[in-house]
Amino acid sequence: MTLKQGKNNQTYEVKSIDMELGLERRLEALGLTEGTQITVLNNDKKGSLTAKFRGTRFAMGRRIADHIVVREVEEL
Amino acid sequence: MRKTINVGFIGNPNCGKTTLFNAFTGANLKVANWPGVTVEKKEGRATYKGLEFKLIDLPGIYSLSSYTMEETVSRECIMSDEVDVIIDVIDASSLERNLYLTLQLIELGKPVVLALNMMDIVEERGMEIDLHRLPEMLGVPAIPVSARKKTGLSILMHAVSHHKEYDRQGPLIHHHPGLQSSHRHNHHEEYAMVYEDYIEDKIDLIISALSQSYPHLDNKRWHAIKILEQDKGITNAYPLDLGNTVDRSYEKDIINQKYNFIEEIIGEVLVNKSRKEASTDKIDRYLTSRWLGLPIFLGIMALVFFFTFTIGDWLKGYFEIALEALSAAVSAGLASANTGEMMTSLVVDGIISGVGGILTFLPNIFILFLALAFLEDSGYMARVAFVMDDIMSRLGLSGRAFLPLLLGFGCSVPAIMASRALEHKRDRFKTILVTPFMSCSARLPIYVLFSSMFFGKHAMIVCYSMYVLGIVVAITTAFILSKMDGSKAEHALLIELPEYKAPNARTIAIYVWEKIKDYLTKAGTVIFIASVIMWGILNFGPGGYVTDITDSFGSIIGKAVVPIFRPAGLGQWQIIVALIAGIAAKEVVVSSCSVLFGIQNITTAHGMGTMVTTLGSMGFGALNAYALMVFCLLYVPCTATIATMHRELKSWKATLGIVFFQLLTAWTISTIVFQIGQLF
Repeated sequence: MTLKQGKNNQTYEVKSIDMELGLERRLEALGLTEGTQITVLNNDKKGSLTAKFRGTRFAMGRRIADHIVVREVEEL
Repeated sequence: MRKTINVGFIGNPNCGKTTLFNAFTGANLKVANWPGVTVEKKEGRATYKGLEFKLIDLPGIYSLSSYTMEETVSRECIMSDEVDVIIDVIDASSLERNLYLTLQLIELGKPVVLALNMMDIVEERGMEIDLHRLPEMLGVPAIPVSARKKTGLSILMHAVSHHKEYDRQGPLIHHHPGLQSSHRHNHHEEYAMVYEDYIEDKIDLIISALSQSYPHLDNKRWHAIKILEQDKGITNAYPLDLGNTVDRSYEKDIINQKYNFIEEIIGEVLVNKSRKEASTDKIDRYLTSRWLGLPIFLGIMALVFFFTFTIGDWLKGYFEIALEALSAAVSAGLASANTGEMMTSLVVDGIISGVGGILTFLPNIFILFLALAFLEDSGYMARVAFVMDDIMSRLGLSGRAFLPLLLGFGCSVPAIMASRALEHKRDRFKTILVTPFMSCSARLPIYVLFSSMFFGKHAMIVCYSMYVLGIVVAITTAFILSKMDGSKAEHALLIELPEYKAPNARTIAIYVWEKIKDYLTKAGTVIFIASVIMWGILNFGPGGYVTDITDSFGSIIGKAVVPIFRPAGLGQWQIIVALIAGIAAKEVVVSSCSVLFGIQNITTAHGMGTMVTTLGSMGFGALNAYALMVFCLLYVPCTATIATMHRELKSWKATLGIVFFQLLTAWTISTIVFQIGQLF
C-alpha cells in the first residue's frame, strides 16, 4: 500500500520510495528513507496529508504520498 | 587588540535560531543578501568578557547537502574563513530531526557548540535530556539555552570563546557492546560519527588518494565522505582517479547510518520518553481539519484586516493632528522668513502633503505587519500552505506557491523573490505573474483614503472586498494559464509543520521594525522624489511656472490619456496623472492626489471633505472611487516590483509582457465594474 492509503494515527514503515531524484533527495535529507517509521496524522482530504516522522510533523502533497510504499507496523 | 571571533548560527528551520540570534544582537543588524542569491544574510555583533564576536545568522536548513540555495550558501560560508566557531541551534524537543544536521556539522571539522533551545518544552512534556551523556557521545559542548527567556546566553558565549581554536573533538565515550569491527582503525575514539566497516574502508582509500593529490586539503575525511556521496561540488573541485572504489552513490547508506547513530544517541540521552500528547496535535485537529481549516483561515485573515483598519485608523488620527500642526508651522515659518511663493508651494504642497500624507498610514502598515509576524512566528503559516494546497493544486499551482502569494499581502518584492523556492520555471513564471494581484501594503493607503471618503460606515467592507477581489483575480488568472499550458497539478508540497508556540515579542518587534524602516525609507526616498517631480509637472507648463494647474504639463499629459480611461469611470485628468505617478510606488497615488487637488492634510476629515466636494463637482462619485480602487489593485506594480520581476525572470520580454497584461486586466475589470455599476 502507499502512504496516501494510510489511516489516521496509524504508524507505517517505509518499504520503498520511488520518485524523481530531487524530491527523493529532499525526503532523504529529512530522514525519510527505507525503513523509517511514519505516522499518518491527517489524511482526511483527497489531496495532501500530514504525517509525522523522525519526531517532526510534515505536510505532504498527494503525489509524494502516492509514491511512498509502506507497510503497517504492529502496535506493540 | 584581540581578533574578532566569527560565529555562525546554524540550525533547522523553526528551531528558534533567529530568536536566539536576536537575543544576542538586538535590532542592531546588518541585513543583506548573500552574493548572487536572494537568500537573506544577517550579521550582528556582541561582546563577552572583553571578547568581540561577529555573529552571522545562516539560513535555516535541514542538511548540508547542496540541493537548495540555502544549503549551498550555508555550507560555503561555514567552510570559509568567515566562520571560526559554529553554534548549532537545536530544538531540544525535536532532537531526532535536529541531530542530523549536527552530525554533518561535526564532520566538517570546525569547532561546534550545541545550543539546546526549547528546553522548557522538553520539561513540559515530561521528558529529560541527559546533558552529560550528549557531549560524551558527540564530542562537542552542549549548552541548554532559552532564546525566549534569554537564559544560558553568556554560558554559550563562554563555550564559544573556549572552543574557538579547538579543532579536535572532545573525548568521546561510546559503548558498542555488540559491535565487532574488522576495520583496522578504531575510529570510535576519534570521531563521533563512525560508519560501518565497508564505508570506513572506502573512506580510508579515498583519504589516501586525497593525501597524494591534494596534500594541503583540510579535513580529508569530510571530503572523502562527500566523494562517496558523489557530491557534485566536491567531485568537480577535487577530481581523483579512484578506480571502482566509488562504484555508486553511498549517500543513502551514509544517511541511514547517521540516523541509526541518532537513534542510539536518543536511546541513551533522552530519559522518560513517554511523553504527553503535544498540544500541537490538538490544535491541529481544528486548524488543519478538512472542513474547518479553510473557514478558520479566512476568519483569521478577516480579523487581521479588521484590526488593521480599526486600530490603525484610531492611531492614524493622532498622526494627522501632528501633520496638520507641522504643515501649519512650516507655512507660518516660511512666510515669516519671506520665502518666495514657489518655494513655499514646493515645501508645503509638494513635500509635506506628499510625504506627510504617506506617513499618516504608518499605523495601518504597522498593525498589518504585526499581525503577519504574529501568524508567522506562532507556526500557523505552514498550516496555511497545507490547508490551501488542494485548492492551489486544482489551479495548477504548486502548494508551495502559496507562500509567495501570502507574502504578497506585505510587499510584492520579497514575495516575487520567494517564488524562487519553486522548482519549475513555468510555475515560477505563473507565480510571479499573479503575485502582484495580491494586494500589497502600499495599496492600503489608497483603499483607506478612497473608501473612507466615499463609503463611510462601509469603508472596511469595501477594503476587504479589494483583498478578496485580488485573490479571485490571481486565482482565475492562474487557472486560465494552467488550462492553456495544459500543466498538471504538482501535488508535491513538502513543508514542516512546527510546534505551535507563543510568539516571541522580540522576534516580532524586530521583524515589524524592519518593515517599518523600509516604509520610512521609501517615504524618504521614492515618495519624496515622486512628490517633488509631481509638484514640478503640476506647477510648470510649456510657458514656465504656472499658477493655474490646468496649464501644467501634468494636465496636458493627463488630458491626452483620459479618453482611454473614461469607460472605466476614470475620466478626470488628475486621477490619470496620479495613477501614472503611482507606478513609482503605489502610495504615490495618495500623495499625488493631495498635490493634484491642492489639498493639504488630505487624510484628515476636513481634507477628505474638501476632496469629496472637489471630486463630486467633476462627476466623480462612489462608483468611480470603487473603479479607481480596483484599477489600483490590479494595474502595474511599482518600479521596485518590475525591477525584481526582471531580475528573477531575466527577460525584459517576459517582464514587459506581464506589465502589459496587468494593465490590460486592470483596465478591463475596472471597466466592467464601472459599466455594470452604472446599470443600477
